[in-house]
This record gives sequence, C-alpha cells and structure tokens, in this order.
Amino acid sequence: MMDSVRIGVYFCWRGTSSADCVNPKELVGYAQRQPGVCLVRDLGLHPPLSPKAYQKEIRAKGLTRIVVAGDSPGYYKPTFTTAMMEAGGDPGEVRLASFREHGAEAGGTLRAKAVLACAVRGVPYGLAAVPATTPVHPDTLVIGGGVAGIQVALEIADAGKRVHLVERTGTIGGHMAMFDKTFPTLDCAACILTPKMVSAGQHENITLWTLSEVLGVSGHPGAFRVTLRKKARHVDIATCVACHACEDVCPVRVPSEFDNGIANRKAIYTPFPQAVPNAYLIDAEHCTYIISDGKKCGACVKKCLKECIHFDEQDETVELEVGNIVVATGYDVFDARRIERYGYGALPNVLTALEFERLTNAAGPTGGRIVMKTLKQNRRTKEDEWVFDPEGPQPASVAIVHCVGSRDNNHNPWCSRVCCMYSLKFAHLVKEKLPQARVYEYYIDMRTFGKGYEQFFERIKEEGVFVVRGRSAKVTAQNGGMTIRGEDIVGDHVQEFPVDMVLLAVGLQPAEGTGELAKTLGIGRDEDGWFHELDYNLDPTGTERGGVHLAGVCQGPKDIPDTVAQASAVAARVLRSIVSGRGRESRDSVSLAAIEERARELAATL
Amino acid sequence: MAVMANPRLIGVLERYGAEDVTKCYHCGNCSATCPFSQEPFLFPRKSMRYLQMGLEERLKGNLEPWLCYYCGECTEQCPRGAEPGETMMSMRRWLIGQYDWTGLARLFSRSAFAEIAFVLVIALLTGAGFLAWGFTRGASLVDYQGFIPAADMHVFDLFLGLLFVGLVVTNALRMWWLTMRGERAPSAGPWLYLKHLLLLPTHFLTQRRYGECSEKTPWVLHMIMALSYLTMLALVALFLHRLQDETWQWPVHVAGYLASIGLLTGTAYALSGRLRRRRTALKHSHRTDWVFLLMLVYIVVTGIVQHVLHRLGLGGAANIAYLLHMMGVVPWMIRFPFSKWAHMAYRPLAFYFSHIQADAMRERSAAGAAVAAQPTV
Repeated sequence: MMDSVRIGVYFCWRGTSSADCVNPKELVGYAQRQPGVCLVRDLGLHPPLSPKAYQKEIRAKGLTRIVVAGDSPGYYKPTFTTAMMEAGGDPGEVRLASFREHGAEAGGTLRAKAVLACAVRGVPYGLAAVPATTPVHPDTLVIGGGVAGIQVALEIADAGKRVHLVERTGTIGGHMAMFDKTFPTLDCAACILTPKMVSAGQHENITLWTLSEVLGVSGHPGAFRVTLRKKARHVDIATCVACHACEDVCPVRVPSEFDNGIANRKAIYTPFPQAVPNAYLIDAEHCTYIISDGKKCGACVKKCLKECIHFDEQDETVELEVGNIVVATGYDVFDARRIERYGYGALPNVLTALEFERLTNAAGPTGGRIVMKTLKQNRRTKEDEWVFDPEGPQPASVAIVHCVGSRDNNHNPWCSRVCCMYSLKFAHLVKEKLPQARVYEYYIDMRTFGKGYEQFFERIKEEGVFVVRGRSAKVTAQNGGMTIRGEDIVGDHVQEFPVDMVLLAVGLQPAEGTGELAKTLGIGRDEDGWFHELDYNLDPTGTERGGVHLAGVCQGPKDIPDTVAQASAVAARVLRSIVSGRGRESRDSVSLAAIEERARELAATL
Repeated sequence: MAVMANPRLIGVLERYGAEDVTKCYHCGNCSATCPFSQEPFLFPRKSMRYLQMGLEERLKGNLEPWLCYYCGECTEQCPRGAEPGETMMSMRRWLIGQYDWTGLARLFSRSAFAEIAFVLVIALLTGAGFLAWGFTRGASLVDYQGFIPAADMHVFDLFLGLLFVGLVVTNALRMWWLTMRGERAPSAGPWLYLKHLLLLPTHFLTQRRYGECSEKTPWVLHMIMALSYLTMLALVALFLHRLQDETWQWPVHVAGYLASIGLLTGTAYALSGRLRRRRTALKHSHRTDWVFLLMLVYIVVTGIVQHVLHRLGLGGAANIAYLLHMMGVVPWMIRFPFSKWAHMAYRPLAFYFSHIQADAMRERSAAGAAVAAQPTV
C-alpha cells in the first residue's frame, strides 16, 4: 500500500519554547526514514505563506499527502491545502504534526518523533499513543481550596473516597469567598459558598491541610507519594473555639489579605468570620512574640482560656499516598501598579476589582457602604493615611475601566473572560446602593458570552449606566479629585471629565508558584502560563502526566459556573480511575517503537 | 453619494512604511493618549479605521496625519502593537504622493531605483552642464569667479528657486483642493481664511506645535535645522555675490557659518537618532529618510569645503568642490517638493486649514442642533 503513497514533510518553526526542546536536524533525518516519505523540507522560521511557493514541487513529486510539522502548524495549513488543491492533489490529505500541542516541550525530540510518525501514517496521535494502565490508590490529593477544589473534594468524598484537600492560606474558600455577589444571578457569594466550605470542613472523608504546600511528588500515576509542608499555625485547630479573646488583645495591625489591604487585621486572626477551619492562626512574620523570640508581648497566650496557642509549634513535613492528584490552584489578579497611567497606588480612589468587592460586601470593612477614601491620622505613626471610613463621603461618579492588563500585548495578551461581567455587576451594585451616582463603563468589546449574561448587560444599560465603547487612556489627579480621559468611539468624542472613584477591572493571570508546581508535578504549561490540558476540546481536565487532573482557572480563565462544572468533571474522572482500579500512565511511558507499530496497525484499518 | 472602498489600500500604505494596521481593534487608547488629539480632529484611531476600511477618498482629504508629530506615545501604549504612530508617518508619505500632481513623489517612495537614478541623472546632467557652459565660454577651471561667475549663478539660482516654488505652490494648491474642497470638508468663508492667516508664518518659522510635545529636544533641534536651512536658502538665492565676494562680508558670512553649523548639528542628531533608534518615532526608517539626510550632509560638507578652498585661494580645487556641491544641490532642490521635506509647506498649511475647519464646523453645528455634551448611553 505504501508504494502508492507519496508523502512530503514540511517543517515550519515558530520560535516557541518547544522549538528549543527538540532537535530539528534529528527530526528531519527521522522524517526522511519514514515509509512513503519522498520529500522533506525544513522551511525555518519564516516559511512563505503563498501557496505558489509549493505548488510546483508538489506536482513534480506527485505528492499524495503533505505533513506540516512544527508548533501550531495549523497556522500554515490553509497555505498547503490551497497548494495541494492547485497541484491537483487531495486537499484533505494535509496532515498536521503539532509538536507543542502534543507535549514536545516536556517530551523533547522523542515526543516530536512520535507525533511525526503518526502524522505521516495519517493517524491521530491520541489514538496511537495509548498509555498502559496502572493500579490505583483510592485516595486523592486536591491542591487548592477555592471553589474548584472544594467542589472536587466534596464530589469525591460524597462518593465515599478519601480526599486530602491542601490549601496554602489559613482557610479554604479562595477568591469566591471575597466576592460580594455572583453574576448574573446576583446571588450572595458567601451564602452559596460557605455551606460548601463547612461541608468540606466537616466531611468524614476530607482531610483539610491548610497553611500547607506541596513540596514534592514522586511515584507514578495511580501510586503517587506526595510530600507536604505544613506550616505552623501556632493555634490548635481542635481546641480553638474562635472566641476572639486573643485577637482583642493583640497589638499588631497589618493589612488584611482577605480584605485586599483595604482594612487591617491582627497578627493573630481568622481571615474572615466564616473561615474553615474556624480557628485562629498566627502570622509569624508579624507576631511580636515570635519576632522577638519570646522576649516581648505574649498577651494572647495569657488571655486564651482554652490554652490552644502554641508558640513552639514547628513546621511539619507530611507524607501522603494518593492515586490521583487534582490541581485547582486558581489565579492571581493582574497587578494594576504595572500600568502607571491609571494611577493605581498613587491616587487613593483608584481601586482594583477585588478591593471593590470587599468594599461593597456587607461583611466588609464599611458594612457594604460604598464610600471614598478619606485622609485620617494614624494614631500610632501620627501620619496621615487614606482609609475607608464607613461614615466617609459617597462617590457621585464612578468610572469602571475594562481590560486592565488583559488583551494587551504589553501585559497579558489573553481575555480574562470574567471582567466584563463583574464590571457590569459593579455598575449594578453602585446603582443599587447609590441611585444618583453616574456610572461609566469603559470597554473595548463587551464579552457577555454566557447564559443570561447578555440580558444582564441589557438590564445594566436600562439602569442608566453610561456604557462607553473605548478604552480609557489615563486617570490623572486634578483639583484634589481625579479626571479620566478616554475616547468614546461610537459617539466620536474624546471625553475628559472628573470622577470620584475609578474601578480597574484587573484581569486574571496564573497564580504565583504555578511554574514550580508544574515542575513538581511534571505537567506542562501553555504560552500564557496556565497549566496545559491534554486536549483543548476533548480532554480539558487531563494532563500529560496520567493521574494529574486540572480544575478551574488554573487551566485557563473561567467564571464560577464553568469552574464548578469542570471540577465536577474532574471528580468523575478521578472516580472512574478509582472504581475501575485502572489509572492511566503518562504518555511518556509509551515507547516510540510501540507508537509506530500501533500507528501502522491503525493506518491499515483506516 | 456612494463611498468607494479600496480593499488594497493597506497594501499600498505598507509600501510607504505602514505596518500591522490590521492588528488594531479600535480600543481608542491612542486617540485618548495623544496630546494633540482634540475635537474635531481625533487621531490616530480614526485614520487607522479609514485605512482598514479602504476609504481612500476620505484619507486623501484628511488633515490629521499632518497634525501628528510622532511623539510615539500611542505606539508605546498600543495594546495590539498596531504601530499607530508609524501608520500616521506612512500616511504623510502617502499624502505627499497624493498632493503631488507629477506622480514623481509616488514613484520615488515606492521605487529605490527610480529615486537613486533620478538623483544621479540630475547630478550628472548638472555637472556636465556646468562644465560645458564653462568650457564653451573658454573660461579656465582654475579661475574661481571666471568659470562659474556669481552673477550668472544668481540667475540660475533664481530659476531653480522659481521651479521649486512653482512645484511647492501647485502641490499646496492640490492639498487645499483635496482637504478644504473635499466632499466632507465644511465650507469656510474668506473671513475664516483671513482670521487665521497669521498661523501660517508663525508656525512655519517656529513649528510651535511640535514644541507642545512632552519631549522638547527634538523640537529645538528641528527648529535649529529648519531656520538654518531657510537662512542658507535666502543667502544663496539673494546674496550669492556677497557670499562669494573676495572680501570679508561679515553679515552674510557669519549668518552662513551659523546656518552651516545648525544644519550639521541637526543632521547629525537626526542621523544618530535613526541609527540608534533613540525614540519610538525613530525605530522605523524609510529609505527616503536616509537618502535625504545623506544628501543634506553631502551638500553641507561640499559647500563648506568649497568655501574653505576658495578662501585659501585654491581656485581650481574650489571650483571642483563647487561643481560637486551643485551636483548635490540641483537634484536636492528638484527632489525636494516630492520628498518628505515638503512637510515644510504642508504642516503649516494643515495647521492653518485645521483651524479654519474647526471654526467652520463650530459655525455649522451652532446653526444646527446643539452637540450633546453627555456621553452616549
């Protein structure tokens, strides 16, 4: 059969990171040795995009199949399809060998060879490279205690399997716990999340590991050995009843992480009243007693009736055995300081999205009253500070700037997906609490893509929000206030007018430490830094390394409904492997010879 | 009337230096950032839009490229890397071609061969012409005043000047026709033309608007260069006999020395800026930019050499230097109205026209409905 097949292989490189991980010369040689290949061309970094450049050669060689090989070679596919058609060949016989998409970044030249071997034989790589199965340990490790991690943990635990839920901070809940409302239903975020947090905290099958991080993972899919570092909490979770006697006497004040710095907390604190586990913890970096090696303070110990504060507690290392690992590490928001012209950090009333979430939250520092910052003297340092005073003046005009750090080649080129909707939600919340306030939305494109989202947008417009198409360019201080300047593209004006408050719709980006975690787990990351799923369309929760799964934003920006859906999907995957007792090995375990053989068999049946 | 779209317009502009125009997604960041973008002239985004839509006629009547001084703010902040500043620059090159009725400007911008061949042929013709003229009169090449007499040169310079002015004025008239009499231009009465007339000379001499950019050094050097150039032009056209007089004529000579220093400083700054890509605006250099700067350096240097040799009493060498100098000057002067340097005329005119248009639009809108001050919902 191979006699009638005449294959041409074209290498088109794109200067991506996986191009550094493979050896082009070796690949060219390998391609030449493949059965049926009669033409191999390395077109380098800038292949001509005109089909005319290839037509003649294709006709002369009488090629019946073309393989375009490289990173994202689909970019060049139309060129070759046209060339093939013009040369009188079958345009359907243009095959792609996508190196990066199939994990050449981690797998190197060997992986690229396997991908190429499949493309040459006209067989999908995923069908040919089928890893062997392994026995599976019934326990599961979930990394990240946000809404994704909680959902995964509850699903698996409810099915009767053991889950270890690891969380870096002192409480589970993640970003969702900070939000005021969810879009587009305007549900109270805490009201729908805290019951789930409590269930996770009390579940007999879930072990919470707060203040813990994954240090190392060894073993293989189905039988991982995980090392955790459990940081000292200095408060015994089992005995602490969160009576706040310790907090009352603690003299230290530091900006609260949970309130995104718009309010202070003590050095002994709970992140928020509904925290799970509901116990205090000590911030060792700021605690006077710990910093001074026990020479100063210690007031909380004296006050604690339950005697649950232990300053001598040390960090521990814990070893766990699990069969599956679920990564649900979420995201960080873009640091708005990086775009100086919006004045964040310099102008007091320029707020980021998360700061506003806390400001408008009924459980937040102002009790949900939307106020501007006021200058107040700090009683200790005697310095004037900008603070949110619940009695402070309310803004008469609020501008919301979309796409801060997103869709910007100077920062993050991707769309963060949630900002348009949460910005509209902010507009609603301001209008709801301050009906007289003027609210401006500066957007580039309004991406209201989900169920009920477009209707939500229409509703916001009816509420009298000024929706301005145009990216606002700068916020400047003027006469003690601020002015915002931007082009109204539809109205054909450049607007510049004073506003009292500016909200920056900061985008999402991979969480800090994503790179290290990827290395620890042996999974890939895509160009933007998100964890790389096995197949964008058909396996959005799997990874290169069998037994490691992805849930939530760590795989790519998504909103709460999508995160929860993906989390449940992961739970199904994990349960499938546990119940069947067969996990999937990683693709690295399949040898090149086996893939070639399998591809040959498949090609014969096609 | 129907609007004609030219789908190949971006391709045309790319030959004038435009890049990545299609990347623009119209966020409006550039127009809002631009310190010069004021109603009713909002740029560069709208020009990018015209370009993407292929609205050739509208672009021809567009004054906005001339109101941009390419400080580079828009390009630096562009989230898409669509190079709005460079697009405005390429539009200026393109517009020079559109204003020019001979078609030479378009040819030179597109074809390196045509430009260099034109310059070389004119240079050789000039050299041959001067030699033939001198020798047929039986003059000796060693005789400075005899071979190329200042009085005859004066007539030649005036002729050259007339040709130059004729080309610039006819092109400027075409610019007026395209921008002020176009379909979309508001009709302006003679009073408006008179009212803003003073803008022309002040802007021509000071490039005042350039000085409003946040960075002042480029403007100062640009003004030094422009004033030096004008001084030199006036000296040569009007006081040539005094410049070449055997005696020391301090007013013209001092002015000439200052102008030479100014021209050398300006070109050196421009060349080093382009070589080092000092600012965003200097990251992309079109071929025509280099040809012109190098020609100017050549003309100034040969001019100085000629003068020095003359003062040293080396008549023959001075004559040869003079000949080489003229072989640069003549093609330069003929090339000038078709080059980017024609902005000397177009920028003040555009500034002047834009004021007239703004007033005319204000009158029109005052007569009609009041403009909504509030943003659209």
